[in-house]
Amino acid sequence: MESIELIRDFLKDRLAVEPENVVPGAALAELGVDSLMMLELMFEFEDRYGVKLSRDLKTPRTVGEMVTLMDGLIAKSKS
Amino acid sequence: MGQRRVAITGLGLVSPYGGDLADFFRRLCAGESAVGHLQTDDLPRPLSMPFVTCPGFDPDLVLGKPQASMMDRFAQFGLAAAFSAWDDAGLPRQPDGESRSDWGVAWGTALGGTMAYEKGYRELWQRGRERLSPLTVVLGMNNGANAHMSIQFGLGGVSMSHTVACASSAIAIGEAFRRVRSGEAKVMLTGGSDVPQAYGVARAWEALRVMAPGDRETSPFACRPFSADRRGLVLGEGGAALVLEDWDHATARGARIHGEIVGYGTTCDHTHLVRPEADGQIRAIRLTLADAGLDIGDIDYVNAHGTATAEGDPVEIAALKAVFGEGAASLPVSATKSMHGHLLGGSAAIEAIVTVLALRDGSIPPTAHLGELDPACAGVDHVTSARHGQPLRAALSNSFAFGGSNAVLAFRAVNL
Repeated sequence: MESIELIRDFLKDRLAVEPENVVPGAALAELGVDSLMMLELMFEFEDRYGVKLSRDLKTPRTVGEMVTLMDGLIAKSKS
Repeated sequence: MGQRRVAITGLGLVSPYGGDLADFFRRLCAGESAVGHLQTDDLPRPLSMPFVTCPGFDPDLVLGKPQASMMDRFAQFGLAAAFSAWDDAGLPRQPDGESRSDWGVAWGTALGGTMAYEKGYRELWQRGRERLSPLTVVLGMNNGANAHMSIQFGLGGVSMSHTVACASSAIAIGEAFRRVRSGEAKVMLTGGSDVPQAYGVARAWEALRVMAPGDRETSPFACRPFSADRRGLVLGEGGAALVLEDWDHATARGARIHGEIVGYGTTCDHTHLVRPEADGQIRAIRLTLADAGLDIGDIDYVNAHGTATAEGDPVEIAALKAVFGEGAASLPVSATKSMHGHLLGGSAAIEAIVTVLALRDGSIPPTAHLGELDPACAGVDHVTSARHGQPLRAALSNSFAFGGSNAVLAFRAVNL
């Protein structure tokens, strides 16, 4: 679950969202993540883990979906 | 629809002194310089120059973190000034019943989001990165400031930026004024902001040899318009905003009216990129007076462009003498850039505010540090210390840009 920490750090840093509100069930849009912020979040993630997200990726709607997506990619990059 | 009168109902800025609008004007009248010394740790050679910064400005605090993180610093200054002007106008932040579909923004910026692009260059060329944050485009675009304002205040009419070097916000204000006067817009938010301390930008200005030198001790006195010993201009960061409103709309809602904007004229020297010509300035001043229906005898104060460059100052005085003739000798003139610096695209906006406050309060702020007058700048009534209790009727604010673009605004005092 290291990716949820990244999401928490990012949302705290950029949008001043309290970490305790960043839970798997929370909708990203309701936390203030619009399409631009989503791009920025993905950019940071790619940067941090040296992975490349596919361009036709289905955009995650919740924190949980985002975590699943990220954890999957991290696992793949390590294998 | 006939021509509408245009009221100025909101004034706002990010003050380089750190206080509010009243504090800003009080300090200007006291001749207090906001110029400090900028020292950076840039490689290979740090910036070290007289400069006006706004150290007390905290964008996260004023705008909120989510908002601030989507904006370049020039847009942060712009939106902070706009919030202040909007609140000053007594308008709700979001529409509350009345449609704002024809309300708009005209914003001036000479440099736009240069800082965002410079950050990108550093990432690529200094840090060896291969890609940039996806926000760089929306931070860097020149219309970033006005776009955020339209969103924040729910303005559905025109949203545009004007980039005309040092006259950017004069032209923005003038174009906004015309839209309200013509009846196209009930309300226009206008002004300008800039952040000239990007490393590449500041170095480029230095190379032009028009920047006043100064160290930690001497910087506050570095900008000396019209003075025999002037050494050049001082750049500064900041933003200033005005709310222009249809007169009847303003009075119907009982708004406080700071002043009236009555004229705007703009011309081009069409001769040289940086050497100003009196002829172009003369035409701009005359166009403005005609547009305002004002006579030279009606003008009780001119806020000069007065940047303190060797070439610029005498040409502006020559233009004023040509227009005002025998009246020039008793025409009060001051250059407040001596204190708030040259904000490039924000200059005309901060000077428009100074001019409106001068008319409203009957107080003329001085040209600071004007000891021995350059004989080439003689011939007008240079205001070297504040004059209070002046019954000022109308005033002009001059802005003359590199590129030869000239823009002059005319304001009238209101006695309600």
